Amino acid sequence: MKKRTKLEVIRDLLSILRENKKVKITHLIYKANLSNNSIKPYLEDLSKNKLIEQIKESDKRLFIITEKGHDFLNEFNKIKIFSESYGLG
Amino acid sequence: MGMPFKLSLGQFYGIDSIVEFFIIIVSLIISYYSHKIYKVIKENNYQFFSWAFLSIAVAFLFKIISNLTILHTIKIEKANFIITFLYEYEWIDILNFISFIMYKVLFIAGFLFLFLIITKTKKKEGILLFVYFSLITILFSVYFNFIFHLTLVIIMSYLVMHFYMNYKTLKTRNSFFVFFAFLVILISEFSFVFIGLHPLFYLLGEVLLLVAFITLLLNQIKLQSQKRK
Repeated sequence: MKKRTKLEVIRDLLSILRENKKVKITHLIYKANLSNNSIKPYLEDLSKNKLIEQIKESDKRLFIITEKGHDFLNEFNKIKIFSESYGLG
Repeated sequence: MGMPFKLSLGQFYGIDSIVEFFIIIVSLIISYYSHKIYKVIKENNYQFFSWAFLSIAVAFLFKIISNLTILHTIKIEKANFIITFLYEYEWIDILNFISFIMYKVLFIAGFLFLFLIITKTKKKEGILLFVYFSLITILFSVYFNFIFHLTLVIIMSYLVMHFYMNYKTLKTRNSFFVFFAFLVILISEFSFVFIGLHPLFYLLGEVLLLVAFITLLLNQIKLQSQKRK
């Protein structure tokens, strides 16, 4: 199986959040097929760039997609074509 | 009093600056788009790619300055004010020299960046070696302009090979656009090697550069017009 690029992992994480509204980290790990360690830098970067948000609900740590995250997901196709056309990523 | 020593690649007295201005705009668009992606996914490739095109844009800005300083000299000569504007001659010569060198440094740096990104050269020794040879090239090319363009032909050949392999794998219209554009830049640089023989080689090179950057702009427009997912 071909290894996913960083761009594709981000797309997968955001798609899961778009489909599921509020998601626990364990669910994200399972759905995105990532390990506990490998998901952390992604979530940190996405939070820092305000593509996702972390909320607390009855002591549970949940993740939601932001408006900016929705925009990025909509733009993903263009970004992928740009990246592929120059052989980046 | 003899003619001042003029360093410039421009031979069409500023008209070619219109082509260069267009190249600056296209390079800035590509650089900005790549930077936008970097800001989100924090992958260095996109940052370096953005710097590469930014470097090319600034290089052409210096080329415009370099071309316009020749235009300025000609105006003075025609007005026969050489003695009156003697002081002005000096600073404009310095400006001409600096812009000429900066154009070469940034132009080579831009394509060297692209080369390092696509060959995934990450070892410091490798990068330093490339930088060293590029600086040597620039120093030599002050007097032997063809060395500068010959070096670019070599760098560009690697880039074209990479973009051809990329197109062969993906078989998409966008990857073809990029391959085609870099192939045309390669031919234009090859044409620039022969500038010393006839000014027509310069004109041909400029026209080819324009075609290449129009293709890169078309690629950008095509991907922007993609339907949202």
